[in-house]
Amino acid sequence: MAEYNKLQPDLSFVRNVMEAGGDTVKRCYQCATCSVVCPLSTPENTFPRKEMLWTQWGLADKVAGDVDVWLCHQCADCTVYCPRDARPGDVLGAIRASAIRYYSRPKALADMLSKPGGVVGAIIAAAVFILAVAAMWAQVTGEGFPFPEGVVVYDKFLSVIPIDAVFLSLVAFVLFVCYNGVINFWGDISKGAGLPLSYTGSVPTPSLGTLLGKYTWPAVSDILSHARFKKCGQTAERARGHLWLLWAFIILFVVTNFVFVAEDLLYNAMHLIGPVTPMPLYHPVKLLANFGAILMISGIWLIKTMRDKKTEENVLKSSAQDWTLIWLIFAVGATGIGSEVFRLINVAQIAYPVYVFHLACVFVLFLSLPYTKFGHLVYRSTAYVFQKWAEDVKAGRAGFGLEKPSGAGEH
Amino acid sequence: MSGSILVVGGGFSGLTAAVEAAEMGYDVYLVENESYLGGRVAQLNKYFPKLCPPTCGLEINFKRVKTNPRIVFYTQASVGSVSGGPGDFRVEINVSPRYTTPQCNNCKSGEAAASTEVPNEFNFGLNTRKAIYMPHPMAFPNQCVVDPSVVGSDEGRKIKDAMPAGHVDLDQKPEAVTLNVGAIIIATGWKPYDATKMDRLCFGKYPNIVTNMMVERMASPSGPTGGKIVRPSDKSEPKRVGFVQCAGSRDKDHLPYCSYICCMATLKQALYLREQSPDTEIYIFYIDIRSPGMKYEKFYKKVKDDKKVHFIKGKVAEVKDGAVPGSVVLVAEDTIGGGKIEQEVDLAVLATGMQPTGAFNPISGIEYDTDGFVVPKDGIVPCGCAKRPVDVVSSAQSATAAALKAIQTLVRRAG
Repeated sequence: MAEYNKLQPDLSFVRNVMEAGGDTVKRCYQCATCSVVCPLSTPENTFPRKEMLWTQWGLADKVAGDVDVWLCHQCADCTVYCPRDARPGDVLGAIRASAIRYYSRPKALADMLSKPGGVVGAIIAAAVFILAVAAMWAQVTGEGFPFPEGVVVYDKFLSVIPIDAVFLSLVAFVLFVCYNGVINFWGDISKGAGLPLSYTGSVPTPSLGTLLGKYTWPAVSDILSHARFKKCGQTAERARGHLWLLWAFIILFVVTNFVFVAEDLLYNAMHLIGPVTPMPLYHPVKLLANFGAILMISGIWLIKTMRDKKTEENVLKSSAQDWTLIWLIFAVGATGIGSEVFRLINVAQIAYPVYVFHLACVFVLFLSLPYTKFGHLVYRSTAYVFQKWAEDVKAGRAGFGLEKPSGAGEH
Repeated sequence: MSGSILVVGGGFSGLTAAVEAAEMGYDVYLVENESYLGGRVAQLNKYFPKLCPPTCGLEINFKRVKTNPRIVFYTQASVGSVSGGPGDFRVEINVSPRYTTPQCNNCKSGEAAASTEVPNEFNFGLNTRKAIYMPHPMAFPNQCVVDPSVVGSDEGRKIKDAMPAGHVDLDQKPEAVTLNVGAIIIATGWKPYDATKMDRLCFGKYPNIVTNMMVERMASPSGPTGGKIVRPSDKSEPKRVGFVQCAGSRDKDHLPYCSYICCMATLKQALYLREQSPDTEIYIFYIDIRSPGMKYEKFYKKVKDDKKVHFIKGKVAEVKDGAVPGSVVLVAEDTIGGGKIEQEVDLAVLATGMQPTGAFNPISGIEYDTDGFVVPKDGIVPCGCAKRPVDVVSSAQSATAAALKAIQTLVRRAG
């Protein structure tokens, strides 16, 4: 008798994808129009036709090992030309949503943060928590709570020490969850790409220097320019808002770290310099921060407008998760600008509550990173790096003794 | 009450239904839109299942029509409206003049006098015809036609003068005929789906992309190329030919259904090409090859055994310029072998599907579904491709069944 492999369909995977917005997957009849019209699919790495089949059949490990899912930017050219209205673009989006949940720990947080109600609840909980910390801190400093005396200075409400205690723990937690997710993801896609395993069964990894210099840097420069996203046909306009938002995050990351180093470390911890905040409006860092905030608001607004338009045109399907993330980022930007404006015009009764909500929104946005659609920042970036690495491994350019055995004729 | 039957459409289905009903002793009116009977089959080079030329099936039906006094047929006629109900339908027929008399069966002298040349619709514009013409060499009725555009012009008078006296009659007027019939058989057939609608397949943009029906005309000995399948751009014999299956069929934006015949048409045309030249390579891009039934499956196997016919499972979704002038590149994903395939070919054939006449030229008083197929009603019996996409054999079978259904309508009402 001929040998055969019995397929083990994972029906819960199919159900998850269908519930996450990929309910059209079973309409696909494998004509492969999508793989041809996709502007990002390459002659060797074709997608999304194979992903549609694997999802229909419940081959969860095949899909988990497929880096192409993450190389998709949901241009939706496939959806527009699909003769069966199987909407491959939406299905791949749903697969990504399921994958983020799959790699997250604990799952309860992913379930909570993927629902709009859960996010609102989380923001309220975070606000209550921040208020509680502030109330306790007021006991230490002797400032009034909830409204400290005198002009609005947020440092009087919550100074560097409690803020760092809360947010550094959060960052550490988020990084830990992301790290775990990325390690598992890297293992799955290495196996899926058919990269050779070591005798212990571990997947090949480049050394840190090579990883950063040879693979991460080119991947990052691709991401910073959105070179691939801009290749999209139907939804190329989405790239602009997304690029603005990405740069806004980078700018805000830089200014936050500047303040962290100057104010928290050099001034508060080491007493090497005087206080740097609140900065005057003409301070270059403050200018940059305000520019970042405006870029963030306009970027997310552009994203929202484009998504509205494309959803209306039926090119994209938008899930509650998509909108939740958009509004969360919008809330971070709006409360951030609100905090600054009300501080400057010195209306304590509004400024302090807005500030609390700003901190709560930032808290929930950070927390969302490994659990919601926001996680594409982590996994898509990893996929970009992996793609370049896997190409080299397969072509025998990666070292580690993993080269293909060279033919006798090649010497 | 009327005991007669109207058959709308004089193609293979309509002819069959008409002669079957007439031979059962019923009076039949046959109404055909074109100037000849035979429909799409008349345009084919060979047809299934035996790969015989259309003459072998049509000739016998023409003979049955000619010898049966119960059949009255109108060509260049269209149904204006249908009213009434089963057993007593009132049908308005508009008959356009042919501007010739029955003895006019050779119009060479008229053609020489005519100056206007228009695309020959019988050959899908692969060549042109004059303002006086024989629809095609085996046309039945074998009578020339004058294009109404020249009636009343100098050219019309020149044609009339060049023809033997009494052959051309430019004074003929359109006629309106009212029929009273008990049952109506709809056999209005189909038209090839407009290939320019598939923007990604670039039909009309590259000259060497043709449709499967154009290939039939080229392969036909009476066709525009005398039976040779050539590239339209330079009339050269193609050595690499790509077939694009499901060109418009099984697609929600075009024809949502399977057109049934295109797979077999492609397999047949692959054989034409392989017989024409022994070194021609054929590339067939498909989603699924649909060769229903034992005979068709056997035919598919036969073509598959040919080492020069390559089957690629993946739909063509992109067409590009080839490296060699005139050639085109077909792009598809090879879903079995993996990766994208870019195949350069000298000639690309789009296996366009069937669109029922009801989709673009419905008859008022007849109900159609969203795709343009006729919805059967008591006394209104569709058959052939007016009912669903079918091959010639199934058309004939459904036509015979339709004749029986129509007769039942009459008998039940009379009884």
